[in-house]
This record gives sequence, structure tokens and C-alpha cells, in this order.
Amino acid sequence: MDVSAALDEIGKAPTLESLQGLKVQYLGKNGLVTQEMKTLGKLSPEQRKEKGRVLNEWKQALEGALEARETQLKEQALRAKLEQETIDVSLPGYAFPSGGLHITSLIINELLGIFRGMGYSVVQGPEVESEFFNFDAINMPEWHPARDMQDTFWASLGNPSGSSPVDGEGKGFTIQGPFGEGVNNLGQAVLRTHTSGMQIRYMIQHTPPFKIVVPGRVFRYEQTDASHEAMFHQLEGLVVGPDITMADLKGAITELARGLFGKEGKARFQPTYFPFVEPGAQFAMWWPERQKWLELGGSGMVHPYLFKAVDDYREKLGLPRAYEGMTGWAFGMGVERLALLRYGIPDIRYFYQNRLSFLKQFKQ
Amino acid sequence: MKIVYSWLKEFLPDVPSSERLEELLAGLGIETESIQSLAIPHSKIVFARVLHVENLEGREVRKLVVDIGQEVQIVSGAPNARAGMGVVLALPGTVLPDGTELGLRKIAGVESYGMALSPKELAVGEYAGGLIEFAPDALPPGTPLAEAWGPDEVIEIEITPNRPDWLSVYGVARDLAALGMTLIHPDPKPKTTPIALPFQVWLEDTQGCDRFTLSYARGIRVGPSPVSVQRRLYAAGMRPISNVVDATNYTMLELGNPMHAYDARYIREGLVVRRARAGEKVVTLDGQERTVDERDLLITVKDGDLTRPAGLAGVMGGADDEIQDSTTQVALEVAHFDPVMVRRTAKRQGLKTEASYRFERGVDPDGQIRAADRCLDLLQAWSGSGVEVSHTRIDHNHTQPAKPIVFRPEYTSRLVGMPYDETEQLEVLRRLGCTVQPTFQEGAFEVTPPSHRVDLTLEEDLVEEVARIVGYDQIPITLPSFFPHPDNLGVDEPYEALERLKQVMAGLGFQEVLNYSWSSPEECALMHAPAPTVFMQNPQTADRTALRTALYPSLLKNLQTAFAQGENGPFLLFEIGNVFNQTETTHLSALICGDPVPGLWQKGLGEGFFALKGLLEAAAQNLGSRVRVERELQPYLHPGISGAVYWNDQKAGHIGALHPAIAAALELPGGIQVSTRPEGDRPQVFLFELALPLSKGPILFSDIAKYPASMRDLAVVVPESTSYVEVERLIRAHAGERLVGLEIFDVYRGKPLLEGEKSMAFHLTFRHPERTLTDLETDGFMQSIIAALEHTGYTIRK
Repeated sequence: MDVSAALDEIGKAPTLESLQGLKVQYLGKNGLVTQEMKTLGKLSPEQRKEKGRVLNEWKQALEGALEARETQLKEQALRAKLEQETIDVSLPGYAFPSGGLHITSLIINELLGIFRGMGYSVVQGPEVESEFFNFDAINMPEWHPARDMQDTFWASLGNPSGSSPVDGEGKGFTIQGPFGEGVNNLGQAVLRTHTSGMQIRYMIQHTPPFKIVVPGRVFRYEQTDASHEAMFHQLEGLVVGPDITMADLKGAITELARGLFGKEGKARFQPTYFPFVEPGAQFAMWWPERQKWLELGGSGMVHPYLFKAVDDYREKLGLPRAYEGMTGWAFGMGVERLALLRYGIPDIRYFYQNRLSFLKQFKQ
Repeated sequence: MKIVYSWLKEFLPDVPSSERLEELLAGLGIETESIQSLAIPHSKIVFARVLHVENLEGREVRKLVVDIGQEVQIVSGAPNARAGMGVVLALPGTVLPDGTELGLRKIAGVESYGMALSPKELAVGEYAGGLIEFAPDALPPGTPLAEAWGPDEVIEIEITPNRPDWLSVYGVARDLAALGMTLIHPDPKPKTTPIALPFQVWLEDTQGCDRFTLSYARGIRVGPSPVSVQRRLYAAGMRPISNVVDATNYTMLELGNPMHAYDARYIREGLVVRRARAGEKVVTLDGQERTVDERDLLITVKDGDLTRPAGLAGVMGGADDEIQDSTTQVALEVAHFDPVMVRRTAKRQGLKTEASYRFERGVDPDGQIRAADRCLDLLQAWSGSGVEVSHTRIDHNHTQPAKPIVFRPEYTSRLVGMPYDETEQLEVLRRLGCTVQPTFQEGAFEVTPPSHRVDLTLEEDLVEEVARIVGYDQIPITLPSFFPHPDNLGVDEPYEALERLKQVMAGLGFQEVLNYSWSSPEECALMHAPAPTVFMQNPQTADRTALRTALYPSLLKNLQTAFAQGENGPFLLFEIGNVFNQTETTHLSALICGDPVPGLWQKGLGEGFFALKGLLEAAAQNLGSRVRVERELQPYLHPGISGAVYWNDQKAGHIGALHPAIAAALELPGGIQVSTRPEGDRPQVFLFELALPLSKGPILFSDIAKYPASMRDLAVVVPESTSYVEVERLIRAHAGERLVGLEIFDVYRGKPLLEGEKSMAFHLTFRHPERTLTDLETDGFMQSIIAALEHTGYTIRK
């Protein structure tokens, strides 16, 4: 038997099947090597020993070659199979929708994140408000010239006896007070012109000290143009306690400036007037990127009139007066304005036209 | 309010440049809107005197011969052109403020050597109805106007409603002076003559009017005001009328007191200040007849037993007593009216004037005499050499002196949060015109504000004064540190739940939109939404007359817009917002239109109702909640594809396909009329709307399974009308507590089932937490399920 020819043949076996054939041919039950083995018995012990050694060497060589070739062929087959399974990975995938939040929500989230880091709670108030909470209780009685600063949407509520003015189907609408009580009798209904009414609502419901921020929609009766919208959002802040100071207000707004604009962010305060604060201050923040001040909102120390209005209301509800001797500060700022300035959006009306081509741009 | 720089400088000789001034004003709380240089007229714009005026036959324009050092002729259409007046003439070669260059022109066949200018043409005012008028000898003829109107600036400032004392040049100067600048106090002293007053004043309502002065001057010649005065009035936004009217306006701008000059001929016996009678009529200066009532205060002229209305107190004078060219005697009213009454009257009449604007905010109740004297001073300067001012005047004074405020300097430091020196604080208040008296209590003072500071009534107001004058920039920054009162704990939960819901919806592929809160009854009806309950009294547009009762109409409109913009879907939109029905509540609404996961070059993952429902279910799972939908009709939904959503078994809202009638009305997909809808066509807008808050599912931990589960499959044949949820509920009710999984994997109709039957096939998974279930036990569970199903009338497919 020519072992080297056999090894050569095995090394060139083209397929696993032909390799299996060769295995049978040489090492199978009736294979050439096996046949030779069978002849050993007829030989003398010396010859048997010598021939046995040779045959074993053959067998091992053949087995090794078979195994090597098998591995080789299997690898080839796998490669071929994988080759066949190739796809064009550059084709686009399923178009899973990429959702997103409205730009106003994103800005509000950013602002809230900064205040939450300072331990503030986030609460919300109603958009249809009674004149009392929106104006009177925050020191803006009907005759106050400050009411001219805020053009108001006045509302009439569907007839509570059951019929709406239009088709008789709607029922009455109830404005709910801080504890869910009806407050339709506290002046006319308005679309809130600011989130400041929530100062009163929250104070009636809770005992100081506390720190809150209030995001929400507000409404002004304004002709809309690129920089005016009839509906926009404000963020209101209120901190009340026994020793709250104007320096604390500056601290919070400065921290907000740094949260928004980084370590170069800073705040500037100038005197101004809002009926619900005294002293009052408007604040601007330094925008390092553009090297300019952005006027962002109003603030000040809570006017004593508000504390009194709150305690009077609490007393009517049977709650103890909780605000005598307290001090506090409040601020309010426009949300959209920050976005307009930061992203260079030319027209505030884009916000609530809800064009997808606009909304989809604000993702990070 | 517009402040002319040179005017301010008359009171503050050391006033810094306008840029520095802007900073100082900001520090005081006065915001500068703009600083503008007053335009210097072009060098070819000159003073001219009109020599004579000639009508041109059949023409509206006239020929004017004017003196500009030489005689030239011009053509003008101005109605007020007349011989003897001084005018502003733009010579040929002038470039007008609007950019036009004048040449020699022929108008109506007459050569015009330039053009006489109206305020509008000179761009100093809006008025275009006549020429700027000067006295004939105001300037030598031909003098360039630029010689009289040199460099100056006008600073427009914004006045907060609490500071009416800033509504004058002197008022602003006075506040700036508190920063340490020298202030020239106005001290007008008209030359008086002993003349008896020809009138009296009866003040009947001292509540509506607590101060009323009436002065008298005669020998007046009405004519144009000086050239420099007219420029200041224009710059301040007023139109010069005549020297008398201008003197009252000029004084108001300078000192802040509104005043009214009556032609004394019309005053007769005198003036009566009284409440109006219901239905009484007044014709105001603007020519309007106005109906007033008992809430309004009138100035009336006493004529025997009658009192004839001559003006709305504090708002506008009457038309009858107006100053005319023929006026020679003037009665000058300077008064103080109740701010609230003035505001209410002005509001009721829809009439906002310079006077009402000031009175309703609060005019200095003690500045009347000074203002009257200043005005009389100006009359003597501007209205001819023969003006005689009476040595006496009427002054009814019922004003209350300003109330002292108890002020503790220590409180300033406490409220502001920085140490202020007591002496410095008191000095600041004195500089602002307050008087400071010690009290018997140590550390407390009585501070009486000056009469012009009507805004100072509380200790906090004085704190602001100190902080403002020392400077807000001096205040340090601190962060408060305290434990909130326990009743504030947990207040964030509702908002956090909303935020979480938003994140989940966005994470599932929905784009958030925020829509206006407005709607209208018509829109609600079109969208099959509940009728509104909140209506706008002053709606801006016809589609914003009410507040929305549901969110989905807004989303449908967004979809309309998207189609109109040529956007290609799929659209997945959601909004969380408030709706207004019996109360204000918060809703979540979402819609999809188109295959939410298109395959682009391959097959998509499938659209339709179950895509939206799957997303809703995923949202619920993400929030640890269970959601179930049961068939229920809803007006805005397709009657066959409409269900109630149960969130953790509480009904929260509805889900389904948009009603084809609404889709048709909005021209959205799926809007084909029902009768013509081809078989198999499906509506393509699917939506849900849920009322928030959604209940929270509890987190119930159970240990990780240690023993293998037993699986069984079960196919149930039920009538077509039987819903999945009915079968599911039955299986769960009878499977026992070892059932840990139930999954429907097939719904089959067709042979060998009968017409009107369908088969639902379920994978059921059973598991015992502490040991392996035997086949016998699992068989037992299955038997009890099968028995219940069969008992209900269903059959089991073998």
C-alpha cells in the first residue's frame, strides 16, 4: 500500500462526502489498513511487531490527515455558507418612529432640572382662573393701573343650570379653589395672565417653609406677531420661610443662570415694579456665547398683601394663619423667550403651529 | 415717556451722557426703550415768512409769496397757509427725511421754489393736515432751521405704574438727584397784577376732587409757540397747537401736573365740580358726545341755576370752552382727582389721555400751585408782552397729608439679606425727599414720604428705596437652607407622573405637540366633541370663541396641517394638556396615521387599530399598569372600531378609528362616505384619549421562578360576536392561581368551522412557585377551564 499517495489523496479530497469515502476505504471495517491488520496474526512475532508498528504509524498518519482535511473542508463550507448569507447592511432599517418632546417641554424640563437640583418641588395650577386668584389676591384690584400691563381674556362660564349658550348640551363649568371648592363667585373668570395666582393657591394649601416652581400656560390678549403670542408659558418660583431674603433670590437666579449658561453664567438685578412683590426686581442673565444680557423675568420679595390675602382665605376655611412674620421671594419668567433667544428662532408663532419640520429639530 | 436730553439738563446740570444715563436709570428702575438723536434739519430747510397768499383759479393749491431774505414763490395745498405766518421751507436741493430730493417744480402751472413742510414732511410728527407754524418774527427770514434745532437727544423710557412721579422731566431729574447729582428746583414766579377774579369755583365732591385751583390771566395773544418749544413738544410726542395749549402741555411734561386752560369768556360765573347725573351728555374736546352717570365727575360751568358740562374731570376737557385764536383771557385749572374714579371713567368711556394716564396713577396732590405758576410764567413769556396774571387764585384744598410710615432700618438688612448702615439708610430716604423723625422705640423711625411719592405706603416700600438707591448690585448671593414643612412633602407627584407619561409616549415614537387651549362650539360639533362650557368674552378670532373640551380635535388639525405641508407620514402625535368640561382636567391624547413602522424597501410591521393599541399597551407596561379595551361606542370613533380603555381596571377613556364622517369633513384619510366605501377599505386615523391622572399599578415582587412551567394549548370555538376579553376573563376565572401566562396566538375563521363561528387559540402557562407541577395537576386545571367554557356554550377544538 502506498501511504504517501493515500495521504495525498486525503489532502485533496474535494468534499466531506469524498473524505468519508476515503476514510472507509482506508480505515473502515474492510479498509485497506484494516485488511492489513488482519494479516498480522499470520506473521512471526518479530515480523508482527515490526509490521504492527508500521501499520499503526500508517493509521495515525491517515487519521491525522483525515481530521485535518475535515476541519479544512468544514471551514470552507462555513465560509461559503456565510458568504451566501451576506446582506447589504448599508440599506436603511425599519423606519421606527423617533418620538420627541415639544420644544417648550424640553426647555421646561431643563429649567425644572436646575431647580430640582436645589430642592424645589414642581406643582401646577389651573389655566381658567378666577379674577380673585389671578388679580385681586396678588394686589391687583380692578382699579389698579397695573392691570393695564396684562391684557386679559375674560371668560364666561356655561350656564350652571344646565344649558350652554350655544346648543343647550353643555353643562356649567366650575373653577375649583385650592381644596377643590367652587370659586366661581370670586370675580369673573379669566384665562390666567400669569402663573402668579398659583402663589396664592399653594400658600393657602401649604405651610411654610417651602420651595416650589410652577410651570404652566398663560394667556394674554395680544395681537400676535413674530414676537407676541396670545398663549405662552411661564415658570414661576416661590420660596417662603421665616428668614428668606432678597439675597436668596439673587442666589437662586444666579444658580439658574449658571445652570443654563455654564460657569460664566451670571445674573443682573434692576429695580422694577410688580404689584405682588416689594422690593421688586427684574433680572437678566449673561449669555457668554453672545456676550450679552438677556432680560428674562421679574421677581421680588412677596408683598405683605399676598400673605394677608392667603391667611384671610385660610381663616375662612378654618385653617390657622400661617404667614404672619414670614418672608419670601417669587419670580416669573417666560419659557418661549429663552428658547427663541438661544436657538435664534425668528418667530414665536412657530411654537404652537406644531409643524413637524419645526418640532423635529429639537432633539439632543 | 419721552425725555428730551437738553430739557433734563435744565434740572440736572451735571447729567452724564445718554449712555451712562441709561445705566443710572436702569439702576433706579427706569428701563430705557431707546435713545435717539433728534434729526438736525437739512441745511436747505429754512425759516420763511409768508407775505401773501393767492388763490389759483379752479385749483385746490394756492400760491404763497414768502420771504427767505428774498421773495420767492411756492405752491402749497396746506389749509392753514396764510399771510403773516412763519413756516418751514425746504428749498430746492433739500433732501427730505424720507429721502426725496426736492427740485424746482411746477405745480398747477406755477413754479414752486421749494416746499413748505408739515410736521409729517419734516418727520417730527404724524400730523400732515397743515404746515408747521411759527411766529412771523420767530427767526430772521432765510435762517436755516438747523441753527435753532441743534443737536439733542430723546430718551424713551418705560414707566412702571407705581411711579407716576416719573411722568415728567423734573420727576426723572429728582430721582436721579437722589444718586447724588445737583438738582435745580423749579421755582416759577409769574409777575402778578392785582386783578379781581371774574369767576368762582364750587367744589361739591371733595372725595372725587380734593384739590382744585383756578388761576386767571388776561391780555393774551394766541399764536404759535417759540421754535425751540415746538421742537421739544414734537420730540416728546405732542403736536404744538398754540402758545396757550402748548404752555399747559409743556408744563405737564415738565412737572407732571395735567392742567386745562379754559377760555375765560365761557366760564361765566364760575365752575362747579360735581358728580354727573344719569344720562347726562358731555361733548369732549375730540368732538365726541359722551353719556355719563353718577359715577363720573364733571367740571361744569355755572350759568344761573344751570350747570353746563365743560369736561370730564381728569380725563378730557369740553369742546365748548376750547382756546381759540380770539381768546384773550384764560382760566387755568390745575387739580387733583381721585385716581380710581378717573380710571373707571376713562375705562368706561374708552378714553385714555395724557391727563387720565397721570391722574389714575397718582399726581402729586401738592404740586398744583407750582405747576400753575410755571404755566402762567410760560404764558407771559410766549403770549405777548401784555399778559397780566391775577395776584390771587382759587385754591380748594382738601388733601390729606402723607401718612408717616414706621421704618426699622434693621428690617431692611433682614429682608434684603445684607447689612445696611442705619445712618446711610436714613440719609437715602432724606435725599428722596422723605422727612425722618425718631420714635420712642429704639431702632424705629417715622418716615413721611414727599407728596409726589404716592407709591410709598409700607415699610417694604422704604426697604426698596434704600436697596434701590444703594444699588441692587450690592446685594450678595446666598442659598436658603431649611427643611420644608411636612405638609409640602409629595406635592411633586402629579407633575412627575405627567413627565413620566410624556417620556414614555415620546420613547414609543410619538411626537409631542402643544396646541392652543381654544376651540369653538362649531369645531366641537364638527369633531363630535362635547359642547364647550367656557366661552371667551373677547375672542380674538371666530375659531377661538371657547375652550377645548377634548384634545383630539387639535391633533386632527395638526394632521391636517401636516398633510397640507406635504409631510409624509407615518404620523404619531400626542399631547398632554388641559380640557374644560365641568371642571378643568388634564388629558392625554394620541393618534397614528399610516404604518407606524414602515419598512421602506421591505414590508412594514403593520398599521391599523392594533398598532395603536399595541403602543398603548406598551405604554401601560412601561408604567407598570395593565390596559384593557372593551367595545363601547363613542361619537368621534368609527362605530365598528371603538372601545373603552380600562387602565388598571379603571375606565380612563376611549380608543378606536376616527369616525369616517369627521375624516371626510377634515379631508383626512379614511373619510370615504360609508355608503360608497369599498369592501376592505379601512379608516386610517387611529386615536385614543384618556383622562389623567392614570392610576398607578403596584410593584409586587415575586421571587424568580425556580421550577419549570407546564404549557398547554387550547383552542376555543365561539360565536363571531364573542370578544376576546370575554373568553380571556372566563379562562382566568377558572384556571386557578397557578396560571401565570395567557397568550392568544391564533384567531381562525373558516372550514371546518361553521359560518358565524371563530376559533381562538391560546398558549397557557402554569407554574407552582415551590415545586414542579405534575401532568395530573395541570390536566386538572385544564379540565376546570374547559368545563367552564363548555358550560358557557363554547366548544373546544380538538
